[in-house]
Amino acid sequence: MFGLIGHLTSLEHAQLVARDLGYPEYADQGLDFWCSAPPQIVDDITVTSVTGQKIQGKYVESCFLPEMLATRRIKAATRKVINAMAHAQKHGINITALGGFSSIIFENFNLHQIQQVRNVTLEFERFTTGNTHTAYVICQQVEQAAPTVGIDLAKATVAVCGATGDIGSAVCRWLNAKTDVAELLLIARNQERLQDLQDELGRGKIMDLNEALPQADVIVWVASMPKGVEIDPVALKTPCLLIDGGYPKNLATKIQSPGIHVLNGGIVEHSLDIDWKIMNIVNMDVPARQLFACFAESMLLEFEKWYTNFSWGRNRITVEKMEQIGQVSVKHGFRPLLA
Amino acid sequence: MPQLEASVAIDFRSEAYRDAYSRINAIVIEGEKEANENYVKLAELLPDSKDQLLGLAKMESRHRKGFEACGRNLEVTPDMEFAQEFFASLHGNFQKAAAAGRVVTCLLIQSLIIECFAIAAYNIYIPVADDFARKITEGVVKDEYSHLNFGEEWLKANFDSSKAELEAANRENLPLVWQMLNQVEGDARILGMDKDALVEDFMIQYGEALSNIGFTTRDVMRLSAMGLAAA
Repeated sequence: MFGLIGHLTSLEHAQLVARDLGYPEYADQGLDFWCSAPPQIVDDITVTSVTGQKIQGKYVESCFLPEMLATRRIKAATRKVINAMAHAQKHGINITALGGFSSIIFENFNLHQIQQVRNVTLEFERFTTGNTHTAYVICQQVEQAAPTVGIDLAKATVAVCGATGDIGSAVCRWLNAKTDVAELLLIARNQERLQDLQDELGRGKIMDLNEALPQADVIVWVASMPKGVEIDPVALKTPCLLIDGGYPKNLATKIQSPGIHVLNGGIVEHSLDIDWKIMNIVNMDVPARQLFACFAESMLLEFEKWYTNFSWGRNRITVEKMEQIGQVSVKHGFRPLLA
Repeated sequence: MPQLEASVAIDFRSEAYRDAYSRINAIVIEGEKEANENYVKLAELLPDSKDQLLGLAKMESRHRKGFEACGRNLEVTPDMEFAQEFFASLHGNFQKAAAAGRVVTCLLIQSLIIECFAIAAYNIYIPVADDFARKITEGVVKDEYSHLNFGEEWLKANFDSSKAELEAANRENLPLVWQMLNQVEGDARILGMDKDALVEDFMIQYGEALSNIGFTTRDVMRLSAMGLAAA
C-alpha cells in the first residue's frame, strides 16, 4: 500500500474543504484549531497502471497550513509532519510521499532527529520526498514544451530559480548532462551552495533573480516559499516558457501575457482515471488524472515494490536515479503535463 | 523559510517553575489516585474482569507514589486542594454513572478520556522533564497504554450496544476536558508544554481509541473535536 501526506493551501481553503466534506467541527475554525488538529486518513485510492496492475493507497491529511510558517507557529508545523508520518506508518503504509510543504519542513527543520513519536519509532525508509520524480517531470516539461512554443533549447538560456534546492539542483544536473541547453543561470539565496553547485556542474552563471529573468528563454521556478513572489511579465523575453514547479502554484494566475507560456511544473497526467476524491480539492484541471509528481513517485515505488526512501535527504538526486524513476513513470502510464 | 527558535533551558529550581509544578504535580497525583478508585469501582461493576481491573488499580497507586517522589525531588508541596477542585466535575460524572451502573460511561471517562489525556500529557512532558521525573514518567506512560487498551477492547467487544451511550457520554464529558486544560494552560507552558501540542496529542490518542473501538473516521473527527471550539 502507498500513502500520500498532503495538506491544504490556506486556512480559507481548509475551512471551505471541511465544509464541503461535511465536517462542521473543522469548518469555521481559526488557525489555533488547525494547530491542534490531528492527522486523518481521508481517502482510499485505487490506481491502475497501463500494464493492468492495480494498487491501493491512502491519503493522509496532515492538517498543516502554510499560515503556520507565515505566523511562526513552527513547532505546530513540524508536529503536523511528524504526526502524519507516524499515522501513515501505524496504518501499515509501505511507502508514503511527503507532499507540498511536508518534505520542505522535514528537511529544513532536521526532523530526522525526531525518530521516536510517542510509541512509534519512525522507519524513514517508508517515506519519500518524491523529489526525484518531480525533478524528472520538470525536465521532461522543459524538453518537450520548449519546442512547441518556438524555443530551441540548443540556443536557449535556462534560468533555474531555487537552483540549490533538492529539486533545483537535480534539474540543473539533468539539463547539464542530458540536454544541449546553451546557457544555465543559477539563482538562489545561499552563495556558498551556489558556488558548490557551479563547481559540481562545471558551468552555469550565478545571478540575481532580477538580472537573470530578462535573459531567460526558459524559467524553471522551483523555489518554495510561504508567500508568492511577483514577477513582472514586461521584463521577460518573448517567447518565454515558465515552468512553475514551486509550491503553492500561483504564477499562472498572476502572469497572463502574450508570448509568456506558464506551465504547472512537476505535475503528471495519468493515462487512466484514478479512483480518488481528494484531488478534487487541490485544484487540478483534470482531477481524476492530474497529480503532483511527488505523489506519483510513491505510486511508482508501490507498483515496482521498491520499498525504500527513493528520494531522501538534500542534493542526493542523481541523473541515474531520475532515469530510473522516469522509466517506470512511462511504463505505468504517467506523462508530464504539457498544456 | 523561518527558523526554529532554540528552546530556552528550563530552570527546574526556579520559583516560577516550582509554583507551576505544585499544581501540575498535584493534578497528576490526584489523577492517579482517582484512577485507582475508579478501577476498583469498575472491578465491582465488571466482575468478569475483576482481577485485571484490580491489577490496573494497583498500577495507578504505584504511579501516584512515583509522582509524589517527583514533587519531593523538586521540594514542591503539591496543591491537592486545587487538584481535587480541578477534577471535581469529571469525578462527579464518573461517580454518578457508577451509581447508576452505566459501565460504558465509566469506561469512557476513565479508560478513554483520562488515560488518553494522561498519555498525551506524559508524552509531551517527557522531553521537558527533569531527569528524575523523566525516568518515572517514561515508566508510567508504558503502563497507561495497557489501561487504555482494556477500555478499548471491552468497548470494541460491546460496540453496538455501547455506541449511543458513548456518544452521549462524550458530549457530556469531553468539553470538561477542554475547560480543565484551559485552567492549567499557563502552568503547563511554564513546564515547557504547549497547549496546542497537548490538545493535538490527546486528539490523536483519543481518535485512535475511538477508531479501534469501531467508530468511522467521520465519527472520530466529530467526536474528538466535540466542544473544542467553544472552550
